Amino acid sequence: MTASALPPLRGKPKQLGFFRGLVRFFAELRDAIVQAVRSLLAHKLRAALTIAGVSVGIMAVIIIFMVEAGMQASFAKQLNSLGPNTLYVHKWAWGVGGSDWWKLRNRPAVGQMDYRALVANTALPVAIAPVAETQAVVVHGDKEIKNVDIQGTTEAFLDAGGWQLRRGRFISDLDHELGGDACVIGADVEDALFKNQDPVGQRLKVGPAARCTVVGSLVRKGSAFGQSQDGTVVLPLSSFLRSFGAKRGLVIAVVAPAGKVMETEDEVISVMRSARRLGPDQDDNFSVNRQDKILQGFNQTMMTVNVVGILVGIITAAVAGIGIMNILLVSVKERTREIGIRRALGARRASILMQFLCEAVMVALLGGALGVALGVGAAALIDILSPMPTSIDPRVVAGGVIGSCILGAVFGLWPALSAAFLHPIEALRHE
Amino acid sequence: MALIELDHIGKTYDLGLTQVAALRDIHFGIEPGEFVAIIGQSGSGKSTLMNILGCLDVPTAGRYRLAGRDVSELSDDELADVRNLEIGFIFQSFQLLPRASALENVELPLIYRGISKKERRERAVEALERVQLADRMTHKPTELSGGQRQRVAIARALVTQPSLLLADEPTGNLDSRTGEEIVNLFLELHRKGNTIVLVTHEPKLAARCPRAVRIVDGLVIADGPGREVAMANAEAMGAEVVAQVLAAQAAAEAHARNVAP
Repeated sequence: MTASALPPLRGKPKQLGFFRGLVRFFAELRDAIVQAVRSLLAHKLRAALTIAGVSVGIMAVIIIFMVEAGMQASFAKQLNSLGPNTLYVHKWAWGVGGSDWWKLRNRPAVGQMDYRALVANTALPVAIAPVAETQAVVVHGDKEIKNVDIQGTTEAFLDAGGWQLRRGRFISDLDHELGGDACVIGADVEDALFKNQDPVGQRLKVGPAARCTVVGSLVRKGSAFGQSQDGTVVLPLSSFLRSFGAKRGLVIAVVAPAGKVMETEDEVISVMRSARRLGPDQDDNFSVNRQDKILQGFNQTMMTVNVVGILVGIITAAVAGIGIMNILLVSVKERTREIGIRRALGARRASILMQFLCEAVMVALLGGALGVALGVGAAALIDILSPMPTSIDPRVVAGGVIGSCILGAVFGLWPALSAAFLHPIEALRHE
Repeated sequence: MALIELDHIGKTYDLGLTQVAALRDIHFGIEPGEFVAIIGQSGSGKSTLMNILGCLDVPTAGRYRLAGRDVSELSDDELADVRNLEIGFIFQSFQLLPRASALENVELPLIYRGISKKERRERAVEALERVQLADRMTHKPTELSGGQRQRVAIARALVTQPSLLLADEPTGNLDSRTGEEIVNLFLELHRKGNTIVLVTHEPKLAARCPRAVRIVDGLVIADGPGREVAMANAEAMGAEVVAQVLAAQAAAEAHARNVAP
């Protein structure tokens, strides 16, 4: 045995100073991580089960949020196809819950009188297009298509709806005035009836009575709200009303100049009120709808989805957290003597607390990372395999990782505190 | 100045209905460099005294000064710091971390001293060399014999250069031959100038120490050279124990002859 060759240790812990305090903190942290890894490796099955529990919980929450984000993104895209500057004058108010239905049902339908009043008395709108709509069978030769969206309108329809022509020309105001038999077909109808063939000049039978000659076709627009907009045949409004009944309600699309949507809306409302001779104390008996009203309704639905998502999140987090708490309580019990040893050698309560919080956060983090990976994978799979769109938001990924850390710390706190407040003597005696 | 000053120490446990006095009026001091045995039967209060000496517990009456500092009313964290700084513990059941190597076990108290990784390693290696375990540094406690484990524990106690080595029945879990090795190691450390307090119930162990303090029912009833205190204790316990103490004395004298220059 030799005498110590190294210089004597100096300094009382109370006077550690900033630098040695920092060295101590990182040394303790490193030691805590090493011990946590050893503790988990010593009980692989137990650790794996808890990690699996956490990861399933995190995965569930991530899937919910990603589906939700995907729905929101696709809805916003579809909404854009309606045109942000277009107002729709209609008997019904969009985005209104079912409970208001009975208030609106006694309103008069929007008709041609209203259309004429708007055309004659408004100054701001860029375009005004009345649209009447029904569904009918379309026949050409021996081919027929069911449930085609038949629309009666005027020339302004093209601008108001953001449509573009693929072939030929659109319905003209002259067609409307004369009640001519011209019609324009959507891309789906063209593909179904005139594959590899010029449709212009061909005759169609629309519904039971109407006949028309195709004068043009429209560029594909895609679907909105799960419905194709391209399975359509557009007729002059007058021909439509003659064939399908004049008492049909219209929707009048009014295109406002950019930046003047509110002014245009006010003008439309005042013209409509005077056309309908409404007194100052009477409510509007029509609605001027904008796309953001649909957004309101959609957001209400999404709110419900959100609340459900958050509830599911809380429940799964609680279940996963209880799993973490359980594994940690067992660990504290098993390592009681170790706690006593460390306390005897100079570990403060905070050191013990950190030791066990480290273990809890590690379990939670492993579970969280696995859950994020599974959640992203599942969201991608849902996107491919089902019509439900999902989008992978990096914030959700970060939230999953950070959230699982917080989960570990919160549910690990109580077991870690119980370890930190063990009396060293009791802990050393523990068998 | 005395390293340890016990000034009329009392410790009473409140058990709700009754109060139990484990220590009643302990009053003695220990000088730096002394090797003192505290001897007593189970229930005598010697474990309570050890806990107080080791700053694992605080007295309910009196003052305890360790290295000139009153530690009887320190906070929990301050007590932890004093333990790290002043005391090296050696336990009957070794109290090593089972999943850590010998080297990691010895490094552990230096973590709480804020020593850098490199210096921790150096000092731990040196401490293990001092207890002749240089070739067992990477072994886990389960891969070591009882005597080797206790030597790891001694290295862990020495590595912080404490003012006091506090050993609680250090040979209690060892066979007599290994126990003898450990006792010789303590005598060696004592010769090198370490202050050692050894808590035991065995008179033959106390007989090997230069000084012994005997505790009965929470009171000091004898304080003097280890041999005399142990003998008085042994006489009370019967002829067999007397023979053991005499044998221990002979061993001590033989050891003293061997190490004398």
